[in-house]
Amino acid sequence: MDVKHKDFVQFLSVPALCLYLVFFVYPLIQGVGMSFTDWDGMGRAAFVGFDNYAAFFSDDRAMNDIRTTIIFAIASATLLNLVGLAYALLMDRRFPLRGLVRVIIYLPAIISPLIMGYIWYFLLQPQRGFLYHALMQLGLPDFVGNWVLSYPKSLAVLVAVNVWQFAGMTMIIYLAGLQSISCDLIDAARIDGAGSTQIFFHIKLPLLVPAIRINVVTNIIGSLSVFDIIMSLTQGGPGYSTESLSIYIMRMCYGNKTGYSTAVAMMLFLIILIPVLVSLRLTQSKD
Amino acid sequence: MKRTITLALAVLMLLPVAFAQGVPEGFGDGGKDVELSFFTGKVETIDVIDGIMDDFNALGNGITIEQEYQNDASNIIKIKFASGEVPDIMTTYEQEYVDQRQYLDLSDMNQWWDRLVPSMKDSCTDVNSGKQFRVCTNMTMAGFFYNKEIFDSLGLVPATNWTDFVKNLEAIKEAYPEIDPWFIFGSEAWSLGHLIEFIPHGYLKAKYGALETKKAMLANDKEVLGFGEPDGAMAAFARGLLEVQQKGLINSDVLTATSDNCIEAFVKGEAAMFSNGMWCLSSILAKDPSMADKIGFAPYPSMMEDGVPVVLVAEDSGYSISASSANQQQAIEFLDYLFSPDNQKRYSEALGSPSAFTDVDAAWAPQSVVDGVNEAVASAANIGYTNEKPAGFTGDDAGRMVQDLLAGRYTAEEFAKAYESAWDAGF
Repeated sequence: MDVKHKDFVQFLSVPALCLYLVFFVYPLIQGVGMSFTDWDGMGRAAFVGFDNYAAFFSDDRAMNDIRTTIIFAIASATLLNLVGLAYALLMDRRFPLRGLVRVIIYLPAIISPLIMGYIWYFLLQPQRGFLYHALMQLGLPDFVGNWVLSYPKSLAVLVAVNVWQFAGMTMIIYLAGLQSISCDLIDAARIDGAGSTQIFFHIKLPLLVPAIRINVVTNIIGSLSVFDIIMSLTQGGPGYSTESLSIYIMRMCYGNKTGYSTAVAMMLFLIILIPVLVSLRLTQSKD
Repeated sequence: MKRTITLALAVLMLLPVAFAQGVPEGFGDGGKDVELSFFTGKVETIDVIDGIMDDFNALGNGITIEQEYQNDASNIIKIKFASGEVPDIMTTYEQEYVDQRQYLDLSDMNQWWDRLVPSMKDSCTDVNSGKQFRVCTNMTMAGFFYNKEIFDSLGLVPATNWTDFVKNLEAIKEAYPEIDPWFIFGSEAWSLGHLIEFIPHGYLKAKYGALETKKAMLANDKEVLGFGEPDGAMAAFARGLLEVQQKGLINSDVLTATSDNCIEAFVKGEAAMFSNGMWCLSSILAKDPSMADKIGFAPYPSMMEDGVPVVLVAEDSGYSISASSANQQQAIEFLDYLFSPDNQKRYSEALGSPSAFTDVDAAWAPQSVVDGVNEAVASAANIGYTNEKPAGFTGDDAGRMVQDLLAGRYTAEEFAKAYESAWDAGF
């Protein structure tokens, strides 16, 4: 590539860079500044230093929301990857109607999480939902029961719905990874006497590291910033027991605590950034 | 050639960014009409307002008006205020904006006030300044809707105190075990917040008077409010709710039931009573018009020994004009048109709520319901709605605390203490 052509190519990135500066960097800088004020969303903002950040760590509701968000993210990201990988391994085999089954698994991912939450709410609503009654008829009253009353159960329902919806998306990425593995490698391993388990752990899994990295990072980001599914299934309740940090930020922002909510948003940014950097680092070393 | 095309595309992509700072003033202002913006969160009046606006726009008086509806209006309006895109007329009303003088002072609009029921003018009056920044066109009531057939079959009459209220619920449960004596749709936090507003806050308003209570709320006067007292109204309310829950006198799905579930259960005869405002009447009658003869309406019984039954009689459909609007005269002209007796008759009948204007004769509900409501209003202390609450502690927040109470996270005394703490923190 000659220098002139290289300059021109770099010049073509200017529109994208401008949009990035306007819609990401500028709001981020504004947000950092706003997080040090007591702005209520309307009046004049006064500088309050680190007061908002100090208040965050002594805010019981925020601490509960962090706990909920982290438990949700760990459970979701783990299950999404395990289920997605299992689906991908199944779908990598040849069987009748394979294309249709792939579509069915992927289909929930194209529906809005908000709508998906409402659908599951009507299926699982205690006393009224179809699945609730079906489980009762099957003699499994404790399987779901009045899940809203129990924090672990309501969180488990939220995770299950999230995994059910997005496992198809994870599957697609793993499937692409599996199909990019050369058949020669697998055949050679078989000739050398490797069994299916050995082939999976010693050939497929190491070669899937780029797919694992993409899935882990996107699932962590998505799960830590979860909003829609919780809003439609439990609205963060009862009380604020299943509220996520994203919902808390929205409620604080609308509750005349715009400065404080921005500080919480900055904390969420850090909370997301740390595991993403760690997982990137770990998977890079595996490369 | 490829380079030229790519360069042209890049420039085209940059154009929106370059123009993002806004269109120059006057650009595109080709028409002569003044265009008014009207912002509302009242889903039940969209159609009737659209109809009235069409008629107004057809007058050709140089003013056109357009309605914007938002489901989450009370929050969206904050964004509009923050971004400087305040509508000319709005139905949302927040105390903080009153304090910041964001609404036009309507105190001199005697052409409206002279026609209004006096108590409704009081309800529209800002406690701090004594001025009016909104005009309400309707009244609404809230209390217990009950199934008259069930009550009559057991010879029950609506209770005036908590002991009799629980006895009624027990009698219904004993005679009709499959029926929920009191249906609470607790998945919607606002409805639980309303219970607090109508029962413990209602006790205070009946005891000290609405104005004094509102002043006490604005000043966080603990002597009057006494929210955290173990023998106060808030603890009594929590104790009462826990009692009916433990006795199985409310629906077991209290935390997940929606208002739609409630209406359906009531219409099907699966629920004997529920608390709500007049706004739910149209939903009941839409599901089953024959319910008109079965709907009874009763005040909230007193939970305190020195209390009296209360019923909410509050302003509904309040209209305010933005103090920063450039079209204030035109906005007043539209409101003059909207408030005319003919349009208010249309409006009241569509809303299913009595008019606050004395010269409007509207058939807002079936006569049997109107008679029942009038009787309940006459037999109980009338309390208004309280807007004088801390901005950081909304009715929704209060409702979520009741959810926690019903989920077993508080005792009655702990609830009262937690409520007081949340109220204080809201200040």
